[in-house]
Amino acid sequence: MAPTLREIDVRGTPVRLHTDGDGPPLLFLHGAGAGGRWLGFQEALARRFTLRCPVHPGHGGAPAADWIDEVADLAFLYLDLLDTLGLDRVHLVGASLGGWIAAEMAVMASSRLDSLVLIDPVGIKVEGWIYPFLFGMELPQVVTTIFHRPEAALALAPADQSLDTLVELYRQNAALARVAWNPYLYNPRLRRRLGRITAPTLLVWGEHDRLAPLACAEAWRAEIPGARLVTFARSGHVPHLEEPQAVAGAVSDFCRRVGRAA
Amino acid sequence: MKFYYFHLMPYVMDHDEPSSWVTLSNRHYDPALGHTLYHQYLDQLEYAETLGWDGICVNEHHQNCYGTMPSPNVMAAMLVRRTSRAKIAILGNGLPLRDNPLRIAEEIAMLDVVSGGRVVSGFVRGIGPEYFSLAINPTHSRERFYEAAELILRAWTEDGPFPFDGRFYRYPFVNPWPRPLQRPHPPVWCPSQGSTETVEWAAKRRFPYLMVFTPIKRIAQIYAEYREACERHGYTASPYQLTVNLPIVVAENDAKAREIARATALWVYHVGLRMSPPFYQPPGYVTEPSLRRLLANRPKLPTELTFEDLEEGGYIICGSPATVRDKLRVFADELRAGIVCSGMNGGSHEKTLEMMELFAREVMPHFREDAHVDETAGVGR
Repeated sequence: MAPTLREIDVRGTPVRLHTDGDGPPLLFLHGAGAGGRWLGFQEALARRFTLRCPVHPGHGGAPAADWIDEVADLAFLYLDLLDTLGLDRVHLVGASLGGWIAAEMAVMASSRLDSLVLIDPVGIKVEGWIYPFLFGMELPQVVTTIFHRPEAALALAPADQSLDTLVELYRQNAALARVAWNPYLYNPRLRRRLGRITAPTLLVWGEHDRLAPLACAEAWRAEIPGARLVTFARSGHVPHLEEPQAVAGAVSDFCRRVGRAA
Repeated sequence: MKFYYFHLMPYVMDHDEPSSWVTLSNRHYDPALGHTLYHQYLDQLEYAETLGWDGICVNEHHQNCYGTMPSPNVMAAMLVRRTSRAKIAILGNGLPLRDNPLRIAEEIAMLDVVSGGRVVSGFVRGIGPEYFSLAINPTHSRERFYEAAELILRAWTEDGPFPFDGRFYRYPFVNPWPRPLQRPHPPVWCPSQGSTETVEWAAKRRFPYLMVFTPIKRIAQIYAEYREACERHGYTASPYQLTVNLPIVVAENDAKAREIARATALWVYHVGLRMSPPFYQPPGYVTEPSLRRLLANRPKLPTELTFEDLEEGGYIICGSPATVRDKLRVFADELRAGIVCSGMNGGSHEKTLEMMELFAREVMPHFREDAHVDETAGVGR
């Protein structure tokens, strides 16, 4: 089944939204570079949830929103999206940048979440670790930083090298840079706030993550009350792309088991 | 025609690393050699005034071997007390690269007062790699540039104190002492890479526009757009609003000049401007329309240029005094530009001084029909 694609007006900002499946509502927030994609991980989740995947403004060919200046702005955008859709509570899953956005949403409005799943999120400062600066890397180095299995990166390859595609990729990179250039990939205020999260939380981590290694997972686990950590041995920074079925299974089971409204 | 002597203050060296910017380790920099080079370069700039150049130029670049002037105002400060006639053109300060651009208003005003009103103040955004080296968000570059420019211009022209409350820069009290000597303020020049937005911005304010190290065809196209924008804003551009900016190599004959140029000019393109692809256009640094224009007609990378490209494409002028005169005349006619802004490199300090002497003796006097004109009158303000 192909997901339906709609454009939703969220308090004046157009948001592209993919929807598919049936079951309890689950909102998935993609990472940088995966906007607008519908991949195996999403297909698997859509078998057990009503899955909604917004495309971050500026990503995946979507128009940028010039008022978005920091990741918290994206968090407010998606809380507004829940209101627009009339969703009181959801399971919230975010990967990498999407995990950062999800964590910002959780510290703002934990009561809206049936559960929270963060897949290799960035977004907090971890002592002794400086995130490698992806903006300065050429593509092959980006791939080896993000993927443990580089062949999984093919799913994110651009359709072509046309002018339009190159401009869209530049826009996507700019949308990420706008919110994450400096401080690079974190909000200095976020870590202190994580203790506010009351939703049951699962941390999913690739054991070979070279962008945010396992030491980062420990920092997140220490800050979020009751958070559990599950790791994947054959993955780097994007286990949901590298081991999609196994990760989708773990996420589904967790949401089903602990979800407050499930 | 007016002549400005332009210096990059390069740290000329060979290396095999992929980038001369951002990541080229500063362990390659030998401060003892740097001491000698800085003094030679400053001597060259001072000598340019002695030989009759109308202006001498410094500029800002960070963390590279291409140009070792992270603070152009520091270099200008060394020059103001050692010169007495030439304009001192700072081409320019990277406005968005500063977190506190009121400091630029202050520093330029200091230089203008000390120099007796000889300062030309360039406003630039800084090139791509600078956003990596100084960790400034490139998606803010254009907005910070406009906002900092507005702040500086108001600080120079309005009686203080007044509050300034921008998106990036906020001050309860803008009230810099000293004020600049030139009224209403030192001329502002805009060295740029040809984005539509900057052309429009500069033309509207009568700020001279110059493109650095660009093939003549592209310069001609951008300058035509600039002139058109000036007309749209209700005036005709003065020739002194447009500058030919390129290296010149002059020697006793064409063959000798080519031989020198092959050894010196190529280094700038093949080593000095070598950088990793991600550094060229950081995310959000250019607007999408400018990016489209760039991609649709993608120029060769500096490292892809052959010597023939440089010579035939008009990236450089090289030859005997007669050849240089002819080429310069063509350039001036084609671009209708009133200022030639160029540096020279003879291969050594002594040979560079000799080349400057040859140029001043055999070329410059042939272009002096406007000797009595002040090129900064009525422009840049």
